[in-house]
Amino acid sequence: MNTVVLALTMILLTVILYFVMNAVYVRLRSPFLVPILTTTIVVIIVLLLFNASYETYMVGGKWIDALLGPAIVSLCIPLYKQRDLIKKNLLPIFGGVVVGGIVGMLTGVLAARFVGFSTELLASILPKSITSPIAMQIAEELGGIPSLATVLVIIAGLAGILMGPWINRWFKIDTAIGQGIGLGVGAHAIGTSKALEYGEQTASMSSVAMTLSAIIGALAGPLFGIWLFP
Amino acid sequence: MKIIITLLQVGFLYILFLAGEFLRAKLSIPLPGSIIGLLVLWGLLSIQIIPLRWVEKGAYVFLSTLPLYLIPATVGVMDYGHVFAGKGSLLILITIGSTLITMVVASLVSQSIAKRHVKEEGTLS
Repeated sequence: MNTVVLALTMILLTVILYFVMNAVYVRLRSPFLVPILTTTIVVIIVLLLFNASYETYMVGGKWIDALLGPAIVSLCIPLYKQRDLIKKNLLPIFGGVVVGGIVGMLTGVLAARFVGFSTELLASILPKSITSPIAMQIAEELGGIPSLATVLVIIAGLAGILMGPWINRWFKIDTAIGQGIGLGVGAHAIGTSKALEYGEQTASMSSVAMTLSAIIGALAGPLFGIWLFP
Repeated sequence: MKIIITLLQVGFLYILFLAGEFLRAKLSIPLPGSIIGLLVLWGLLSIQIIPLRWVEKGAYVFLSTLPLYLIPATVGVMDYGHVFAGKGSLLILITIGSTLITMVVASLVSQSIAKRHVKEEGTLS
């Protein structure tokens, strides 16, 4: 197939499915039907049915992926509009991000070591709560597998947005700060896309948590890893 | 006209992302270009070089469809079926379990500090 036609097909497949899945989600409002999850699953099924590889998909997919950068830059807007809320809550934000981040790295690595996984896998699971470009860097520095780290980051993100509503109910997390920080620390950009559903305050908290996790992770992640598995 | 303004803003946000990528490469900052771009925009808005209305409409276009831009990355999971076969499936379980604990702890810590704050200062946020 012609490259341009192939690229357009993949782009249209993704965009149309996304809007259909979004409409389904808006109608049924089940937390299991979040469009990022349902669209991903249906796209994968379609690719498998047509025997198309991920590489083939990315001929078109890379054009959508190219817009992720400016979309992340856009998260500055809720962040900026809620700057007073952030200034007033610096301590809760830092507390949640730092404690949550450490717990995230520790529990993942310790559980994986308990099961007997290799250092390569420990280094790949360590940065799973951090946005994927940083997670790949950290995994690489520690001798992990960057692409596997990315997959675990995505699994953490998807699991995070599925569990978020239950966590909020079971643990009585009823503030924008609590809900937003949880999603941002545990589920990075995917969590933040969910936090946007809750409103601007929650989105700003999730964005700030995601950004801080990325900064702290980039600086401290490798050191943490060296300490955990020298 | 409205559409043109929105498109210009979308283009401007893209330029900010490219600026972030440029800074990352030039100064070897260990952060993704998108996050550097976000911080640059925050700085420009804070010192009021750029008014919010110059970027707000374009940003809304991206924010209202944010999950879409994550899909090419999430579809990549399809190449990893073999890693998670057998014992590898434990990696998924550990990731999910650890994420659960992480979110509960992060939410509880931030919310309880915030609520104590409110009690002391009497301001609700």
